[in-house]
Amino acid sequence: MIECVDVAKRFGSTVVLTGVTARIEAGEIFAVIGPSGSGKSTLLRLIDLLDTPTGGTIRIGGTDIHREPERGLAVRRMMGMVFQKPAAFNTTVYENIAVGLRFRGVGEAAIREKVKEVLRMVGLAGYEERRARTLSGGEMQRVALARAIVIEPDILLMDEPTANLDPVSVALIEDLVLRINRDRGTTIVFSTHDMYQGQRLAHRVGVLMKGVFAQVGSPREVFTLPASREVARFVGVENIVDGVVVSENGSSAVDVGGIRIRARSPFGAGEAVALCIRSEDIRIAPADGGAAAPGRNVLSGTVAAIVPRGPFSRVTVDCGFMITSILSWKKVDDLDIREGSQVEVSFAPESVHVVRRE
Amino acid sequence: MYEIIEGFIEATKLIATFDPDVMAIAARSIIVSFTATIAATLISVPLGAAISFGSFRGKKSLINLIQTLYSLPTVIVGLLIFLLISRVGPFGFMRLLFTPTAMIIAQTVLILPIMTGLTIAALSGVDPVIRDTLYSLGATRLQFLVNIMKEARFAILMAVAVGFGRAISEVGAAILVGGNIMASSFASSTRTLTTAISLETSMGNIPTSIALGIILLAIALGVNLAITRIQHR
Amino acid sequence: MVALLLICGCTGTTTDPTPAEKQQLRIATTTSLDDTKLLNHLSSIFEKQYNAEVLVISAGTGKALEYGQRGDVDVLMVHDRAREDVFLADGYGINRRVFAYNFFILIGPEADPAGIKGMEPTKAFATIREKGMTDKNVVFVSRGDASGTHAKEQALWKGAGFNYSTDIQGSGDWYLEAGKGMGETLTMANEKEAYTLSDIGTYLAYKGNLDLVTLVDEGDQLLNVYCAMQINPAKYPDINSTIAKDWVNFMISDDVQKEIASFGVDKYGQPLFYAAQKDWEKIGVTEAEVTDPIA
Repeated sequence: MIECVDVAKRFGSTVVLTGVTARIEAGEIFAVIGPSGSGKSTLLRLIDLLDTPTGGTIRIGGTDIHREPERGLAVRRMMGMVFQKPAAFNTTVYENIAVGLRFRGVGEAAIREKVKEVLRMVGLAGYEERRARTLSGGEMQRVALARAIVIEPDILLMDEPTANLDPVSVALIEDLVLRINRDRGTTIVFSTHDMYQGQRLAHRVGVLMKGVFAQVGSPREVFTLPASREVARFVGVENIVDGVVVSENGSSAVDVGGIRIRARSPFGAGEAVALCIRSEDIRIAPADGGAAAPGRNVLSGTVAAIVPRGPFSRVTVDCGFMITSILSWKKVDDLDIREGSQVEVSFAPESVHVVRRE
Repeated sequence: MYEIIEGFIEATKLIATFDPDVMAIAARSIIVSFTATIAATLISVPLGAAISFGSFRGKKSLINLIQTLYSLPTVIVGLLIFLLISRVGPFGFMRLLFTPTAMIIAQTVLILPIMTGLTIAALSGVDPVIRDTLYSLGATRLQFLVNIMKEARFAILMAVAVGFGRAISEVGAAILVGGNIMASSFASSTRTLTTAISLETSMGNIPTSIALGIILLAIALGVNLAITRIQHR
Repeated sequence: MVALLLICGCTGTTTDPTPAEKQQLRIATTTSLDDTKLLNHLSSIFEKQYNAEVLVISAGTGKALEYGQRGDVDVLMVHDRAREDVFLADGYGINRRVFAYNFFILIGPEADPAGIKGMEPTKAFATIREKGMTDKNVVFVSRGDASGTHAKEQALWKGAGFNYSTDIQGSGDWYLEAGKGMGETLTMANEKEAYTLSDIGTYLAYKGNLDLVTLVDEGDQLLNVYCAMQINPAKYPDINSTIAKDWVNFMISDDVQKEIASFGVDKYGQPLFYAAQKDWEKIGVTEAEVTDPIA
C-alpha cells in the first residue's frame, strides 16, 4: 500500500537517506527501527508529506504522492501522525482533538460524538474540558494519539511515540496501537530505537541504517537471521566473529584464526564472512565434562569474565577468540566456574548465522 | 516643590470637572493612536505571517532590517511624511498636511516595524512540532495560518499593545505633520496629549501639563492592564 | 467608526465651496503672535462672520516662510520686513498689509549684573557681551531659530559693530541659542536668570510666570512691525485665496484695528499691540499698506 522506491533525502550537504526501498502492506503494523540519527523521523515525515524527498518516489495506493502538489492535501488527510514530542494546542483537550475534524468541516454534533468515543478509547474519558497543556506526558501523548485517530485515517504514522514516557504510559500506548490496528484495520508505521518494542508490536520490521533499509522482515527473521554485521550488532547479537569460508567434505566450515567452526553458509570457499551467534545458543560445560552431542562445535577455553545482567550472568570465554554465553545464576553456581576456570563451550552449527563481511 | 503640588491640585480639578479642552485633547490622542494601531495591525500581522512562513532569498536580511527600524527616530518619520504630503510633495494634492489623518499615517508608519518584527517573533516562537501537527492534521494554508495565530495570540496581542504605547507617546512626528493646531472644530484640530504637554510646559502652564500627563499615563497603563487581563482569561 | 468619520472630515477642503460649507483658512504665523492669544481672539470673531474655520500653525518666522513657500498654508503673518520683501519679490506672496506693531524689549534679571538698565539698545548689547565674557552671571539667551525676533536681534548685534557669526555665535558660554519660540525662550531665560530680547506682547502675556523685568524699552531700532499676506494663488492654484483675502482685509478693517488696539489692556494694564492704521508714517510703511483693502 505504501511503496518507497529508492527514496533519498539530503539537507544541504548532509545526506540522511540514500536509497530507501520497502513495501508496507495495507493493514499491517510496520516498525522502522534503527540507531538514533539514522533517518527514521525523516522517512516518516516524507511519507506524511511534511517534506519532499530529494530522490526516489513514494507511492500510496499506486499514486506518487509528491508528484502532484494539489493532491497533497487530500493525501495528507488520509494519514494521521503522532510525533515524539506531544505538542498540544494551548486550549482544552476537546478542542485539541476536534482540530482535524474542524478542518474537514465536520458538524459540531458529530464532533462531540467522535471526540467522546475516541477519548474513551484512549482511556481519558471525561477529560474534555481539561486544559491540554496541564496533562502529564503520557496523557498528552494519548491525546495526541486520539487527535490523530479521530479523523479515521487509513494510515497512522508514529515517530518514536513512547520515547520519553514512563513504563505505564508506554504499555498503555502500545496496547492502543495493537487495538487500533485490530479493530479498525489501520495501517500503522512507527519508528523506534527500542528494538524490543518493534518486536512486540510489529508484523514486520525494517532496520534503517546508513540511510537505507539494511533488512526488512518479520521480527523473528531480523533477530535470528540478521542480514549483516551492523544489523546483527543492532539487534543484540553479542558474538560476531570474523572468518573465512573453507569447504570440508560436503559440509562447509569457517576458519576462524585457525579454529574450524562447522556452520551452514551459502557462500563459496574463500569468502570473508562474519559469524553471528546469539549468547542464548551457547552452552558452557566444565572442561572434559563429557561428550557433547555429535555435530556440535566444541571449543576449550578459559573464563575471562562473569558479568551479571538482571537474573542472568554473561560469561565470556577466551577460546582463541572471545565468545559470550548467557546463563542463569543457578547454572553458574552448579558449574562452579569463576574467572580463570577451564571450560568447554559448545554450540550447534544451526545456531551460527553466517553473513558476508563487508 | 510647591509648584508641583499646586499643579497636581489644579490638575485634579481639571480632570474631575471634565475640562472640555483637556477632554478634547485626550479624546483626540486616543482616536488617532487607536486608528493608527488598527491600521498597523491590519498590515503588520499578515505581513509578519508572510515573512515568517515564507522562504525566499534575503529573508534574514529583511528581518534584520525590520529590527533595525525599531529605533527609527520619530522625527525622521515625521520629516519623511511631511515631505511627502506637503503641497509641493508627491502626495500634496491630497491636502493631508496639518490634519489628524496625517498624524494617523505618520504613527502607523512609525509603529509598523516594531509590530511586524514582534509578530514575526511571535509566530517563529511557536513550536515547530505544532506546525507539523497542523499540517499532518490536513490544514489548508488558510486553516494553518489561523491556527498558528491562535497559538501565538498572546504574543501578537503584546505586539499590538507595544504598538499602541509607542504611537500615543510620540511627539516628534505629531508636531511636524500635525502642526499642533487648536481649531474651533474637533475634527480640524491636531493637538494631542503629547504635543499639548510640550506646548503647555513651554508656556509655563504647569497645571494643564500635569493634568494632560496624568491622563496620558492613565491611558497607557490602562491599555496595558486591559491586555494583561485578556491574556489571563 | 468615529475615527473613520473624523478621517473623512479631515482631508483638506474644496476650493469652490458652497455657501453652506465651511471654508478652512490655514495661517502660518510667528510664535509671538500666537502665544499672546491675539490670533485666538481675532479668529473666533472672523469664524463667526465668515462662516470659516481658522487653523493656526505657529512656528518661527523662518518656518512660516518655508510653509508659505511650499504652499502648505494660505496666509502668512510675520514680522521681518527684509525677508518679507524677498518673499514678495520672489512671487510667493502677494498683497501684504501691515496691521499692527509693537516694540521689542530687552529684559533680564532684576539684579541686572551687567548694569544695562536704561541704556541705548546697541550699547546695552555691547555691554552684555563685554561683561558676559568675564562674569559668568551675565548670560544672554537668543531665539536662535531664524525668527523675526532673531533677525532683529542679529540686526542689533550688527548695529553694535559685531559680526554675528564670528563675534557672537559660539564666542563663549554667555551666549545661548535656544532654537525655540518666544514663549519657550522666555521660560528658558527666566530659568537661567539671563537677558533676552522679546516682543512686548509675548512678554506681557508671560509676565505672571517670569521673574525677569524690562531693562531697555526705548529706541527706534526696537520697532516691531507685523504684516499679513496672501500666498500667491498663481503659484499654488488650489490655495483658498478668497478666504485668505477676506482675512487680510479683516485685519486692516476699522473694527479689528480697534480690537487690536485694546487687546490685553484689561488684563495687563497696557495694550500688547498698537494698531497700524494711523501710525503708518511712524513705522515706516506706505499708507496703502495699512488702509487699502485688497480688491
